[in-house]
Amino acid sequence: MPVPDTAPAAATDSPLWRTWVDGYAPMPGIPDEFIGPDGKPRDYWVRFLKALDQFTPQEIARRFASADRHIKDTGVSYRVYGETSERSWPLSHVPMLIGEDEWRQIAAGVEQRACLLEEVLRDLYGDGRLVRDGALPAAVVTGSPEFLRPLHGVSPRGKRHLHLYAADLGRGPDGSWWVLGDRTQAPSGMGYTLQNRLTLARAFPDLFQEMNVERLAAFFREFRAGLTNVAERSEPRICLLSSGPFSETYFEQTYLARYLGFLLVEGEDLMMRDGRIHVRTIAGLKRADVLWRRIDSDFCDPLELNTASSLGVPGLVDSLRSQNVVMANMPGAGIVETRALLSFMPGLCRRVLAEPLILPNIATWWCGQPGERETVLRSLDDLAIAGAFGGTVPGFAGRPSMLGAELREEDKERLAAAIRRRGVDYVGQEVVRLSTTPAWENGRLTPRPFVLRVFATPTKEGWKVMPGGFCRVSDRPDARAVAMGDGVQSADVWVLARKPVDTMTLLPNSETIRIRRLLGNLPSRAADNLFWLGRYLERAEATMRLVRCLCSSLIEPDLVSDRASQTIERLKRLLVAWGAVSPRQSGGSAAVAAAAFHGPENYGSALSITRAARRAASTIRERLSADSWQLIGTLEERLQIPHGEKPSEAEVFDRAEEALQFVAALSGLAQENINRVAGWRFLDMGRRVERGINTCRFARRFASRDATRDDLQVLLELVDSQITYRSRYIIGVALAPVRDMVALDPYNPRSVAFQVQSLGDHLANLPVLREDGIMEAPRRAVLDLQTEITIEEAANLDDRKLLVFEQKLSALAQSIASRYFLPGANAARSERLAGLA
Amino acid sequence: MIYDIRHVTTYSYESSVSFARCTLRLMPSDTSGQRVMTSELEVAPQPASRVTRKSFFGHTNVAVTIETLHRELRIVATSRVDVDREACFPEDGGPAWEGVRDLVPASRSLAAASPAHYIYPSRLVSHFEPISEYARQSFPDDRGIADGARDLMTRIRSDFTYDRKATLVSTPLDKAFAMRRGVCQDFAHVMIAGLRGIGLPAAYVSGYLRTIPAKGAKRLEGADATHAWVAVWCGPEGGWIGFDPTNALVVTNDHIVLATGRDYADISPIDGVLVGSGSQKINVGVDVIPLE
Repeated sequence: MPVPDTAPAAATDSPLWRTWVDGYAPMPGIPDEFIGPDGKPRDYWVRFLKALDQFTPQEIARRFASADRHIKDTGVSYRVYGETSERSWPLSHVPMLIGEDEWRQIAAGVEQRACLLEEVLRDLYGDGRLVRDGALPAAVVTGSPEFLRPLHGVSPRGKRHLHLYAADLGRGPDGSWWVLGDRTQAPSGMGYTLQNRLTLARAFPDLFQEMNVERLAAFFREFRAGLTNVAERSEPRICLLSSGPFSETYFEQTYLARYLGFLLVEGEDLMMRDGRIHVRTIAGLKRADVLWRRIDSDFCDPLELNTASSLGVPGLVDSLRSQNVVMANMPGAGIVETRALLSFMPGLCRRVLAEPLILPNIATWWCGQPGERETVLRSLDDLAIAGAFGGTVPGFAGRPSMLGAELREEDKERLAAAIRRRGVDYVGQEVVRLSTTPAWENGRLTPRPFVLRVFATPTKEGWKVMPGGFCRVSDRPDARAVAMGDGVQSADVWVLARKPVDTMTLLPNSETIRIRRLLGNLPSRAADNLFWLGRYLERAEATMRLVRCLCSSLIEPDLVSDRASQTIERLKRLLVAWGAVSPRQSGGSAAVAAAAFHGPENYGSALSITRAARRAASTIRERLSADSWQLIGTLEERLQIPHGEKPSEAEVFDRAEEALQFVAALSGLAQENINRVAGWRFLDMGRRVERGINTCRFARRFASRDATRDDLQVLLELVDSQITYRSRYIIGVALAPVRDMVALDPYNPRSVAFQVQSLGDHLANLPVLREDGIMEAPRRAVLDLQTEITIEEAANLDDRKLLVFEQKLSALAQSIASRYFLPGANAARSERLAGLA
Repeated sequence: MIYDIRHVTTYSYESSVSFARCTLRLMPSDTSGQRVMTSELEVAPQPASRVTRKSFFGHTNVAVTIETLHRELRIVATSRVDVDREACFPEDGGPAWEGVRDLVPASRSLAAASPAHYIYPSRLVSHFEPISEYARQSFPDDRGIADGARDLMTRIRSDFTYDRKATLVSTPLDKAFAMRRGVCQDFAHVMIAGLRGIGLPAAYVSGYLRTIPAKGAKRLEGADATHAWVAVWCGPEGGWIGFDPTNALVVTNDHIVLATGRDYADISPIDGVLVGSGSQKINVGVDVIPLE
């Protein structure tokens, strides 16, 4: 039920209310979102707090905690540049609120600015009239590393450079909204915005309804429709071109790709052939119509842009030139982010759109102009100085901007001299004091500086602004620039409508949706990573089984005979051969078991292999369920032990037992929750190949002609077949039946025969490239092996034959790799032509 | 003077290459004082596609794709060029350099010849204060810009040692400067960095030198491969004047221009990617014969 709009301040005297309102003191002279210019709380904040006041403090705390848990569980994360591990996303518990009227102003200003920037881009990469007519000095354009000369004269398909624009906004000292900066390169934050909204709406569903919060989904639909409409085909393949798992915002990229139904690709996945861009898939090259790029322009094409780039696609610029592909945003669109350009925006707006700027930007003076330079030098103490073209202040390494008033005398002189010498490199800007919005701290509200990022996308009816945004709130009172590093939270932004929001329109008309069960073709790189994820998980499991076996042999009191110790030696040798433990490992069997399990320095230890699995998984995160990703993470955590700890045999045994349960859970998830499409087949093929190879190896070690009873027992344990064996043979272990069960029995899901049969099934169901009816190499290889195993008899099976099986399985894995995956490490790879010609 | 130029580049690969895509900048263009009479480019094996277009900087870009399996890639550029560069060095040494510097930010042109492109750091030439400081010594107050540039060029020639082994294409500028060693590319980059450091527009020029010196002159450095030098903008009247710091020469009729850009990265003669493994060897041969 909507709360009445007229709400006099302090109309209630609940203790919570008093803590929130009376305990809130905006910073003097700085506008605040909660307390208006009249010194009273704004009416929508009163509505919000009244609604919140219906909960007890305990309930509020519980809901906030649940929101935090949700963030952690869904794996929402970001990476601080240069760090290897990701951090969980810090979500502010209270939203930032904006009333409908004020929002309309902001939206109109952002739409106007997007329009203007598109026109400026068209001119700079086209006619160059703005420069020729003197509206913009050439040197403001040429100084930007984002003015990409190979793109000059290239007219984008659909005549658009921008498909997504973001503006960073703040409230100026007079209370009106200001643009702090423009984002046109590859704006981030849209995915986090969505995630923040889902999390907060989930924590307070009623509150969210009552407040008439504008919904976001329609904006995402518009964005997708815009990209679809500009393509040549009616059902285009839209790819999100990612910079890979080491990007700061990789989570967001995978999240958006999933949400919007785009294919997540990296440069390696793409290739230019016959003027068009294609995705390398397991079914061959498939055309990519639209690329939404999250990599910087300069990296897009090593042939025409940065030759050192390994992220891009050679020939991409050529493809753009012939309008065979759409890129959002066009490479080079980042030029309008240039700081020096800010000082020309008011003039450009009047000239290009014949109207004044609705939203002013922070006052900026480019020191390339003599008059402006003198102004800046005269008022150095009142200004911030920054690089005219982004980056750091030239001559002052590591400083993005500096306040004249805070400089030491000698630095100030050095700066002034540098500005006199090469003014073109510098801008002076008025010092920004960010306005504040309430942040939640221990049950109280505190004013904190914020930056609001707003997104816009072009539609058939002009630019549309997302009703909401991405708000970064500093956890320090200092009102300076806020990046998304340490000490920053993000807040959901609620644009509050006067009337209840119509939710009906959010569902697409089902008549327009074509029913489909298969989603496009699997990119080769994803197939590769899924296959290796499967192999690593299986190898980790095998290593854990070896360790568990070793521990149980050590614990069992009746297994201390000489023959038993021979078995123990064999187990250890196998662990050494696998790289799970160093041949020089000292400290007895318990230490060997612990090292093979936990040792981070051994490449084949259960821990190292699990880490490799996690790395493979991280590059295909958009294809894994949140549960699977989380399980792999937890497994890795459990495999670590505090440095210096020396666990006993029994402890390692227990841990191996526990870890094996995690692996079993992962296998279960893969069997029950993944669609039976190509991706699942590659994951499973990886497991099958690895299991087949491992089983052959185990059998060669523990079921050779001189195998002891203990050896055979161990083998059955390693391949998890003791129970089946006991139920089938009452006589006890003997060589031939064990060999049969482990290698040839097609009904035992752990046998080599079973793995080969599964591989055969998978390969028969994958797409075929050849059109001449000739069977492809991997299928030929698997059929050959299948026949050989099927007709083999247990009595004749010996080490040599087991070795042949093992080698054929390895060859099959190679054959799968060269048919379906990208050029691997051993095969052909893209390289640069070397040398000075 | 009319020249016949033959530029042969051969890549040999240890193992077969199945695919290559290259951008070739090996055909000279008409520029002031230079007319291209004929120019041909042959590539073997036969490319599957070949597209020729003008680049932003005005030179000819030939993009080729090769899809035939090959162990050797051979690129032969043959051109006949008529060079007639009048003695362009101003007798009075040109306008004062400070005045030229202050004209650039007001430039109203984005065309390739606009000085506005050539005052900023570029991919291979970043700002490096010691080089700016070095250059500043050639530019006392009010000195004519061409005079100053010639002085800087001469100093580089005498302070630096021509040494093919000292640097690679990838050697950073500050290192070459610290060693005071390198090849034509390094000398040109150092001079460009110095000029830009004090706000003057300087461009990188690639091209050729006549192989056999004129009678009585000695053989020039860099005559057996592509050469590189510097063009300096000397104000609206003086225009662009070439300075060759490797040979301490103001550019006249012995130099043939292939392409002009901000630095080597804009106009490297051959850029490309290939699909293959194993090592590669490159062999370059250049002949520049005057027709007399």
